[in-house]
Amino acid sequence: MNYINDEMLNNYLDNDLTSEEMQLVKSAIANSVELKKRYEALLSANNLLRETEIDFTSAEFTKNLMQKIKTKSSTARQQKYFLLSFLVLFGLIIFSITGYVLYEIILSVQANESTKGITAVSKNISEYFSGLFSKNNLSIFGSVLSFIMIISGYFLYEYQKQTRKKFGH
Amino acid sequence: MKNLTDVEIIESVKKGNAADYSILVDRYKNKAFSMLKRMLKNDFDAEEILMDCFLKAYNNISSFKFESKFSTWFYRIVYNTALTKLSNAKRKIESDMDSIDDLHYLKSKYNADDFLNEDIAVTVRKIVNELPPKNAAVITMFYLEEMTTEEIGDVLQISVANVKVILHRSRNLLRELIEKRNLLKEIL
Repeated sequence: MNYINDEMLNNYLDNDLTSEEMQLVKSAIANSVELKKRYEALLSANNLLRETEIDFTSAEFTKNLMQKIKTKSSTARQQKYFLLSFLVLFGLIIFSITGYVLYEIILSVQANESTKGITAVSKNISEYFSGLFSKNNLSIFGSVLSFIMIISGYFLYEYQKQTRKKFGH
Repeated sequence: MKNLTDVEIIESVKKGNAADYSILVDRYKNKAFSMLKRMLKNDFDAEEILMDCFLKAYNNISSFKFESKFSTWFYRIVYNTALTKLSNAKRKIESDMDSIDDLHYLKSKYNADDFLNEDIAVTVRKIVNELPPKNAAVITMFYLEEMTTEEIGDVLQISVANVKVILHRSRNLLRELIEKRNLLKEIL
């Protein structure tokens, strides 16, 4: 019964053969003591593997994991709030500057000059903006913005560092 | 709550009930731990990597599209993370040929007469714990998790035929040992 190889025997065990092949292996096992012993040893190996004991994690595993998830979620929320507050602050600064510029322009336009209003407004806007973006003002704006960016970058970096520390990486 | 299906739990977690994730953790932690312990041959590393795997799964749960079972998806994370850990530790990642060599090594290491008086279940456990990572992963998923060869193929990203080859080789290793043991018993 040498034609029944290990692969066929394994497939027979797993019920992974056609019905004819199953019948062939079954009768071969019944007719050969040697093959029967081989099959019984394989069956034994299969049962022993099925009965292999499971390993258990430490008792606190789930608790520790859920704690990590909770901490991570709250840190992510903090980061989100920080970014949001930074964007709000930045928006407020831009809004204030724009508001101030418009306020100055409106004040400079006379109320009785309604016909010349549009011309005056556009003239004043262009004058104001050319003044606003003059060399000196531009460098002041640039410096203020860079300062804000550096400060924000620092805080973001600190948040990242704290997060990494909390997760032990 | 414990009777919820994996899909129901994931949907609940996706809705923001993070606490429900603990049910999934309790459901899979021991079997996944067994697989990692057998692959990494180290309890401490296994638990640490398992923690990472559950965190990875949680962080990516929104991308889980229910196209496969959660178990298949999760075990893929576990298997790949274990391989990365082995690779980072500059340990050898066994190729198919290496696995055969390692099985030969186990064959020569465990002689039938060495464990004649030892409980066979203990010997099997010892051998299973020394199997190469890929073989250990296949054996654990097939016997402990009762996954099909198709599902195991999905996890390991290999063909069903290859899964069967790995499974049969590991099983044959034990069969040969049992056969020799039985023969020795008959002689004695």
